[in-house]
Amino acid sequence: MQIRSGRPMAAPSLDALDASIIEILRTDGRATNQDIAKKLSVTAATVSARLQKMEDARAMRVVAVTDFAALGYNVIIALGVKVQGRGLSDVGRDLAALPEVLSVNVMNGRTDLELLVALHDFSDIQHFLYDHIARVDGVAHIEAGIAADILKFEFNVAPL
Amino acid sequence: MSSTKSKRLDQLDQKIVEKLARDARISNRAIAADLGVTEGTIRTRIKRLQGEGLIQFTVVRDFRMAGSPNLCMLGIDADPAHVPALAEALREMPEINCVVVLLGRFSLLAMGLFTNIEQLNDIIANQIRTLPGVQRVETGISVHNLKYEPGVAKITPCTDEG
Repeated sequence: MQIRSGRPMAAPSLDALDASIIEILRTDGRATNQDIAKKLSVTAATVSARLQKMEDARAMRVVAVTDFAALGYNVIIALGVKVQGRGLSDVGRDLAALPEVLSVNVMNGRTDLELLVALHDFSDIQHFLYDHIARVDGVAHIEAGIAADILKFEFNVAPL
Repeated sequence: MSSTKSKRLDQLDQKIVEKLARDARISNRAIAADLGVTEGTIRTRIKRLQGEGLIQFTVVRDFRMAGSPNLCMLGIDADPAHVPALAEALREMPEINCVVVLLGRFSLLAMGLFTNIEQLNDIIANQIRTLPGVQRVETGISVHNLKYEPGVAKITPCTDEG
Protein backbone atom coordinates (compact mmCIF):
# COMPACT_ATOMS: atom_id res chain seq x y z
CA MET A 1 0.00 0.00 0.00
CA GLN A 2 1.82 3.06 -1.20
CA ILE A 3 0.55 6.42 -2.20
CA ARG A 4 1.41 10.09 -2.08
CA SER A 5 1.44 13.20 -4.03
CA GLY A 6 3.88 12.33 -6.76
CA ARG A 7 6.95 12.71 -4.57
CA PRO A 8 9.67 10.12 -4.19
CA MET A 9 8.79 7.53 -1.58
CA ALA A 10 12.24 7.08 -0.02
CA ALA A 11 12.29 8.55 3.45
CA PRO A 12 15.20 10.74 4.49
CA SER A 13 17.16 8.88 7.14
CA LEU A 14 17.34 10.27 10.65
CA ASP A 15 19.98 9.33 13.17
CA ALA A 16 19.70 9.11 16.95
CA LEU A 17 20.48 12.79 17.46
CA ASP A 18 17.77 13.85 15.00
CA ALA A 19 15.31 11.59 16.80
CA SER A 20 16.26 13.06 20.19
CA ILE A 21 15.74 16.58 18.88
CA ILE A 22 12.30 15.64 17.56
CA GLU A 23 11.44 14.03 20.89
CA ILE A 24 12.23 17.25 22.77
CA LEU A 25 10.25 19.35 20.29
CA ARG A 26 7.27 17.04 20.71
CA THR A 27 6.92 18.11 24.32
CA ASP A 28 8.07 21.69 23.81
CA GLY A 29 7.88 22.92 20.26
CA ARG A 30 9.18 26.35 21.24
CA ALA A 31 12.29 25.15 23.07
CA THR A 32 15.22 27.26 21.90
CA ASN A 33 18.15 25.67 20.11
CA GLN A 34 20.22 26.42 23.22
CA ASP A 35 17.77 24.55 25.48
CA ILE A 36 17.81 21.55 23.17
CA ALA A 37 21.59 21.68 22.82
CA LYS A 38 22.07 21.70 26.58
CA LYS A 39 19.82 18.69 27.07
CA LEU A 40 21.64 16.68 24.43
CA SER A 41 25.16 17.90 25.22
CA VAL A 42 25.79 19.28 21.76
CA THR A 43 26.20 22.83 20.50
CA ALA A 44 23.32 25.09 19.52
CA ALA A 45 24.85 25.31 16.06
CA THR A 46 24.58 21.54 15.69
CA VAL A 47 20.92 21.63 16.70
CA SER A 48 20.28 24.45 14.26
CA ALA A 49 22.01 22.57 11.43
CA ARG A 50 20.11 19.34 12.16
CA LEU A 51 16.76 21.14 12.21
CA GLN A 52 17.59 22.86 8.95
CA LYS A 53 18.58 19.57 7.39
CA MET A 54 15.35 17.88 8.46
CA GLU A 55 13.23 20.73 7.21
CA ASP A 56 15.07 20.86 3.89
CA ALA A 57 14.49 17.14 3.47
CA ARG A 58 10.81 17.76 4.28
CA ALA A 59 11.12 15.17 7.02
CA MET A 60 9.38 17.18 9.70
CA ARG A 61 8.13 20.59 10.67
CA VAL A 62 7.23 22.14 13.98
CA VAL A 63 3.97 23.99 13.62
CA ALA A 64 1.40 25.75 15.73
CA VAL A 65 -2.01 24.17 15.58
CA THR A 66 -4.98 26.45 16.22
CA ASP A 67 -8.25 25.22 17.64
CA PHE A 68 -11.25 25.29 15.29
CA ALA A 69 -13.26 27.34 17.78
CA ALA A 70 -10.47 29.87 18.26
CA LEU A 71 -10.69 30.60 14.55
CA GLY A 72 -14.46 30.91 14.81
CA TYR A 73 -15.14 27.58 13.10
CA ASN A 74 -18.07 26.21 15.02
CA VAL A 75 -19.40 23.80 12.41
CA ILE A 76 -17.22 20.97 11.17
CA ILE A 77 -18.54 18.76 8.40
CA ALA A 78 -17.29 15.43 7.06
CA LEU A 79 -18.39 15.62 3.46
CA GLY A 80 -18.50 12.67 1.07
CA VAL A 81 -18.58 13.52 -2.62
CA LYS A 82 -19.40 11.32 -5.60
CA VAL A 83 -18.06 12.40 -8.97
CA GLN A 84 -19.35 11.82 -12.46
CA GLY A 85 -18.03 12.77 -15.86
CA ARG A 86 -14.77 14.31 -14.70
CA GLY A 87 -11.48 13.13 -13.22
CA LEU A 88 -11.39 12.74 -9.44
CA SER A 89 -8.18 14.72 -9.05
CA ASP A 90 -9.49 17.62 -11.12
CA VAL A 91 -12.68 17.83 -9.10
CA GLY A 92 -10.70 17.38 -5.90
CA ARG A 93 -8.34 20.18 -6.78
CA ASP A 94 -11.22 22.56 -7.51
CA LEU A 95 -12.75 21.70 -4.15
CA ALA A 96 -9.37 22.06 -2.42
CA ALA A 97 -9.20 25.64 -3.66
CA LEU A 98 -12.08 26.60 -1.36
CA PRO A 99 -10.60 27.98 1.88
CA GLU A 100 -13.32 26.38 4.01
CA VAL A 101 -12.15 22.97 2.83
CA LEU A 102 -9.42 21.84 5.22
CA SER A 103 -8.64 18.52 3.64
CA VAL A 104 -9.38 16.59 0.48
CA ASN A 105 -8.70 12.89 0.03
CA VAL A 106 -9.30 10.79 -3.07
CA MET A 107 -10.92 7.65 -1.72
CA ASN A 108 -11.19 4.02 -2.55
CA GLY A 109 -14.61 3.38 -1.09
CA ARG A 110 -18.25 4.25 -1.46
CA THR A 111 -17.52 7.94 -1.96
CA ASP A 112 -14.94 9.27 -4.40
CA LEU A 113 -13.71 12.22 -2.37
CA GLU A 114 -13.78 12.92 1.33
CA LEU A 115 -13.57 16.50 2.56
CA LEU A 116 -13.27 18.08 5.94
CA VAL A 117 -15.05 21.40 5.92
CA ALA A 118 -14.98 24.13 8.57
CA LEU A 119 -17.71 26.78 8.69
CA HIS A 120 -18.47 29.55 11.10
CA ASP A 121 -22.17 29.01 11.51
CA PHE A 122 -25.05 26.67 10.86
CA SER A 123 -26.51 29.29 8.58
CA ASP A 124 -23.44 28.93 6.31
CA ILE A 125 -24.08 25.27 5.60
CA GLN A 126 -26.69 25.52 2.89
CA HIS A 127 -24.94 28.33 1.08
CA PHE A 128 -21.60 26.60 1.16
CA LEU A 129 -22.83 23.16 0.12
CA TYR A 130 -25.14 24.24 -2.67
CA ASP A 131 -23.54 27.42 -3.94
CA HIS A 132 -19.91 26.38 -3.71
CA ILE A 133 -19.44 22.61 -3.47
CA ALA A 134 -22.35 21.51 -5.66
CA ARG A 135 -21.43 23.99 -8.38
CA VAL A 136 -18.02 22.46 -8.98
CA ASP A 137 -18.12 20.67 -12.30
CA GLY A 138 -18.26 16.89 -11.83
CA VAL A 139 -19.79 16.88 -8.35
CA ALA A 140 -22.70 14.46 -8.73
CA HIS A 141 -23.69 13.75 -5.15
CA ILE A 142 -22.82 15.04 -1.69
CA GLU A 143 -23.36 13.53 1.75
CA ALA A 144 -22.81 15.76 4.73
CA GLY A 145 -22.16 14.52 8.24
CA ILE A 146 -22.07 17.24 10.85
CA ALA A 147 -19.68 16.82 13.76
CA ALA A 148 -21.61 16.80 17.01
CA ASP A 149 -18.44 16.24 19.00
CA ILE A 150 -14.79 15.74 18.19
CA LEU A 151 -13.19 13.55 20.83
CA LYS A 152 -9.82 13.10 19.23
CA PHE A 153 -7.96 14.85 16.47
CA GLU A 154 -4.30 13.99 16.50
CA PHE A 155 -2.63 13.94 13.16
CA ASN A 156 1.08 14.17 13.62
CA VAL A 157 1.74 12.86 10.17
CA ALA A 158 1.03 14.83 7.01
CA PRO A 159 2.25 15.30 3.47
CA LEU A 160 4.93 17.98 3.83
CA MET B 1 -19.45 20.42 21.71
CA SER B 2 -17.50 22.22 24.37
CA SER B 3 -18.33 25.86 25.01
CA THR B 4 -18.00 27.78 21.77
CA LYS B 5 -17.93 31.11 23.57
CA SER B 6 -15.96 33.86 21.97
CA LYS B 7 -12.57 32.38 22.73
CA ARG B 8 -11.63 34.07 19.50
CA LEU B 9 -8.30 35.46 18.54
CA ASP B 10 -7.88 39.17 18.05
CA GLN B 11 -6.04 40.59 15.07
CA LEU B 12 -2.61 40.50 16.63
CA ASP B 13 -3.18 36.95 17.87
CA GLN B 14 -4.13 35.96 14.36
CA LYS B 15 -1.03 37.44 12.84
CA ILE B 16 1.16 35.70 15.40
CA VAL B 17 -0.60 32.40 14.86
CA GLU B 18 -0.26 32.67 11.09
CA LYS B 19 3.49 32.93 11.46
CA LEU B 20 3.70 30.09 13.94
CA ALA B 21 1.54 27.85 11.77
CA ARG B 22 4.11 28.12 9.02
CA ASP B 23 7.08 27.64 11.31
CA ALA B 24 6.75 27.36 15.05
CA ARG B 25 10.52 27.70 15.46
CA ILE B 26 10.52 31.37 14.53
CA SER B 27 11.91 33.45 17.42
CA ASN B 28 9.79 35.88 19.43
CA ARG B 29 12.22 38.58 18.33
CA ALA B 30 11.61 37.87 14.64
CA ILE B 31 7.83 37.90 15.08
CA ALA B 32 8.03 41.11 17.10
CA ALA B 33 10.17 42.84 14.50
CA ASP B 34 7.84 41.77 11.72
CA LEU B 35 4.67 42.91 13.46
CA GLY B 36 6.14 46.05 14.99
CA VAL B 37 5.47 45.17 18.62
CA THR B 38 7.80 44.29 21.49
CA GLU B 39 9.26 40.88 22.11
CA GLY B 40 7.55 40.86 25.52
CA THR B 41 4.14 41.28 23.91
CA ILE B 42 4.76 38.30 21.66
CA ARG B 43 5.95 36.20 24.59
CA THR B 44 2.85 37.06 26.66
CA ARG B 45 0.47 36.48 23.78
CA ILE B 46 1.90 33.07 22.92
CA LYS B 47 1.84 32.05 26.56
CA ARG B 48 -1.81 33.06 26.89
CA LEU B 49 -2.87 31.34 23.68
CA GLN B 50 -1.16 28.17 24.79
CA GLY B 51 -2.49 28.43 28.32
CA GLU B 52 -6.07 28.81 27.13
CA GLY B 53 -5.72 25.81 24.83
CA LEU B 54 -6.28 27.89 21.71
CA ILE B 55 -3.02 26.86 20.13
CA GLN B 56 -0.65 23.98 20.53
CA PHE B 57 2.77 23.22 19.12
CA THR B 58 3.20 19.95 17.33
CA VAL B 59 5.89 18.15 15.43
CA VAL B 60 4.44 17.04 12.13
CA ARG B 61 6.34 14.27 10.42
CA ASP B 62 6.16 13.64 6.72
CA PHE B 63 4.18 10.63 5.50
CA ARG B 64 7.38 8.98 4.32
CA MET B 65 8.90 9.17 7.80
CA ALA B 66 5.96 7.20 9.14
CA GLY B 67 6.26 4.45 6.52
CA SER B 68 3.90 6.12 4.03
CA PRO B 69 0.65 5.10 5.69
CA ASN B 70 -2.76 5.43 4.10
CA LEU B 71 -5.44 7.44 5.82
CA CYS B 72 -8.35 5.09 6.47
CA MET B 73 -11.79 6.36 7.33
CA LEU B 74 -14.23 4.19 9.21
CA GLY B 75 -17.88 5.13 9.13
CA ILE B 76 -19.52 3.35 12.03
CA ASP B 77 -23.25 2.83 12.46
CA ALA B 78 -24.25 2.06 15.99
CA ASP B 79 -27.12 1.69 18.40
CA PRO B 80 -27.63 5.32 19.55
CA ALA B 81 -27.56 4.39 23.22
CA HIS B 82 -24.04 3.03 22.78
CA VAL B 83 -22.56 5.97 20.87
CA PRO B 84 -20.97 7.84 23.81
CA ALA B 85 -19.31 4.68 25.15
CA LEU B 86 -18.15 3.72 21.65
CA ALA B 87 -16.68 7.15 21.06
CA GLU B 88 -14.73 6.79 24.28
CA ALA B 89 -13.52 3.29 23.38
CA LEU B 90 -12.35 4.50 19.97
CA ARG B 91 -10.60 7.48 21.49
CA GLU B 92 -8.53 5.17 23.62
CA MET B 93 -7.28 3.12 20.68
CA PRO B 94 -3.75 4.31 19.87
CA GLU B 95 -4.17 3.36 16.19
CA ILE B 96 -7.10 5.75 15.81
CA ASN B 97 -6.09 9.39 15.29
CA CYS B 98 -9.49 10.98 15.01
CA VAL B 99 -12.91 10.29 16.51
CA VAL B 100 -15.97 12.31 15.58
CA VAL B 101 -19.56 11.85 16.74
CA LEU B 102 -21.49 12.51 13.56
CA LEU B 103 -25.01 13.63 12.75
CA GLY B 104 -26.13 12.05 9.51
CA ARG B 105 -24.10 9.66 7.33
CA PHE B 106 -22.85 7.57 10.26
CA SER B 107 -23.07 7.51 14.03
CA LEU B 108 -19.32 7.88 14.34
CA LEU B 109 -16.40 8.62 12.09
CA ALA B 110 -13.00 7.30 13.06
CA MET B 111 -9.76 7.75 11.15
CA GLY B 112 -6.39 6.13 11.40
CA LEU B 113 -3.15 5.88 9.48
CA PHE B 114 -2.29 2.35 8.45
CA THR B 115 0.62 0.92 6.54
CA ASN B 116 -0.99 -2.41 5.77
CA ILE B 117 -4.42 -3.85 5.19
CA GLU B 118 -4.00 -6.70 7.67
CA GLN B 119 -3.47 -4.25 10.49
CA LEU B 120 -6.51 -2.23 9.42
CA ASN B 121 -8.63 -5.35 9.17
CA ASP B 122 -7.49 -6.53 12.58
CA ILE B 123 -8.63 -3.29 14.19
CA ILE B 124 -11.99 -3.37 12.46
CA ALA B 125 -12.76 -7.06 12.85
CA ASN B 126 -11.31 -7.71 16.28
CA GLN B 127 -11.43 -4.40 18.10
CA ILE B 128 -14.26 -2.31 16.66
CA ARG B 129 -16.91 -4.69 15.37
CA THR B 130 -16.79 -6.59 18.62
CA LEU B 131 -17.73 -3.52 20.67
CA PRO B 132 -21.30 -3.46 22.01
CA GLY B 133 -23.72 -1.54 19.83
CA VAL B 134 -21.71 -1.54 16.60
CA GLN B 135 -23.97 -2.40 13.70
CA ARG B 136 -21.82 -1.74 10.67
CA VAL B 137 -18.38 -0.44 9.78
CA GLU B 138 -17.82 1.05 6.36
CA THR B 139 -14.21 1.49 5.33
CA GLY B 140 -12.80 4.00 2.90
CA ILE B 141 -9.12 4.20 2.09
CA SER B 142 -7.50 7.40 0.94
CA VAL B 143 -5.37 6.72 -2.11
CA HIS B 144 -4.29 10.30 -2.62
CA ASN B 145 -4.21 13.38 -0.47
CA LEU B 146 -4.88 16.61 -2.32
CA LYS B 147 -5.07 18.99 0.60
CA TYR B 148 -4.32 18.97 4.27
CA GLU B 149 -4.09 21.88 6.70
CA PRO B 150 -1.96 20.80 9.63
CA GLY B 151 -2.41 24.19 11.26
CA VAL B 152 -6.08 23.83 12.15
CA ALA B 153 -7.45 21.13 14.41
CA LYS B 154 -9.55 20.38 17.41
CA ILE B 155 -7.36 20.84 20.44
CA THR B 156 -8.49 18.34 22.97
CA PRO B 157 -7.19 18.24 26.54
CA CYS B 158 -4.46 15.84 27.66
CA THR B 159 -3.20 14.87 24.25
CA ASP B 160 0.51 14.76 24.71
CA GLU B 161 1.35 11.50 23.03
CA GLY B 162 2.61 11.55 19.45
